[in-house]
Amino acid sequence: MSAQEWVALVFLIAGCFFYLAGTIGLLRFGDVHSRLHALTKADNLGLMLVCASLAVLAANWRITALLVLTWLLGLLAATVSAHLIARHARRVEK
Amino acid sequence: MSVDLLIDGLLGLGMIVLALQVVSERTVLRSIILFVVFGLVMALAWTRLQAPDLALAEAAIGAGVTGALMMMAWRRLLIINPEHSADTPRGRSAVAIPVALLSTALVATIGLSALNIEPHIDTAGRVALDEMTDTGLGNPVTGVLLLFRNLDTLLEMAVLLIALLGARAISAPARPEEAAVVETTTPLVGALLATLVPLSILIATHLLLAGTNEPGGAFQAGAVLAAGGVALVLTARLQPAKRPGLATQLAVTAGLLAFVGIGVGIMAFGETLLALPGTWAVYLIETAMMVSIGLTLALLFAGAPALVGRRA
Repeated sequence: MSAQEWVALVFLIAGCFFYLAGTIGLLRFGDVHSRLHALTKADNLGLMLVCASLAVLAANWRITALLVLTWLLGLLAATVSAHLIARHARRVEK
Repeated sequence: MSVDLLIDGLLGLGMIVLALQVVSERTVLRSIILFVVFGLVMALAWTRLQAPDLALAEAAIGAGVTGALMMMAWRRLLIINPEHSADTPRGRSAVAIPVALLSTALVATIGLSALNIEPHIDTAGRVALDEMTDTGLGNPVTGVLLLFRNLDTLLEMAVLLIALLGARAISAPARPEEAAVVETTTPLVGALLATLVPLSILIATHLLLAGTNEPGGAFQAGAVLAAGGVALVLTARLQPAKRPGLATQLAVTAGLLAFVGIGVGIMAFGETLLALPGTWAVYLIETAMMVSIGLTLALLFAGAPALVGRRA
């Protein structure tokens, strides 16, 4: 395996770890807010690491730019939906 | 090879488990959410089967727009009939198990007989692929949809229009409390829309243009356009209107009009019905179809004959 593939593998494993941690948090935490906390933070980082791994493997600026765009869109969607879910949950609790 | 088999096996198993959960889930809402997840896994399966056109269509229409339509239907059910809540546990129907067994037997029979089919060299697919070089189109799927089997595509557009007319005929006008679903005042929603809606137009245009040579086309592009419209309806930037104006009527029928107009008009030049005269006709019809599909799906979602813009 080349150095490039080793770097990609490390990024990929790290990304999978964060996805796993986020999913365990989603399943195990008690209330909506801590679940959101686990899911959004860990998944955003996991997505970034998986995208980074793919970008290293592709070694191509066009694909890297598309992967960065994918990650940013994921961030945007996760941020807004987490915000709306948390807001709704707080209103229901009151 | 074994890794491929593992991924395919996981996808297949995942789809069966998800399908079981969709029909056996306790509440309607959970079933709808699982149906969307099922659609996404299905899109992955199509990708594995090297059918990217179908994968795009499944993700955009099967999971995206259909999921949004079912969520809206679920919400309307709750508003129309709050006591008979859609979330009450449903008893299993007496015919459920016989129907399930019959369906399983049917699928197994079809699957087993499909295993014994010998692939023929001179099937329609091979002939179509050979003819593709004369058409100027690089994507065989677009070639089949717009040139070789375009009567089917034309009738699909007609079915979509009839669905919209049917929905309008039987649905009561949307009540004000049903209009906005999402919190519309928080600044984050505005920022999301300002990014997503232009992007949906950009991606739809890309899918439409790419459809000539790569995976994509009017149906996928229309669904992505509709997703932008659904986001605007959900956040009350677009609101239901009572009567459709001329622009709405033209946009909803544009695909059918362009298709029939060119397909019949060509007969004046001695050609046969629907013998499209070139790639410009394909582009024109696909663009008109994208507009019609996008607006029709958004109108079906809003449950309204027309939409008007409003500052929220």
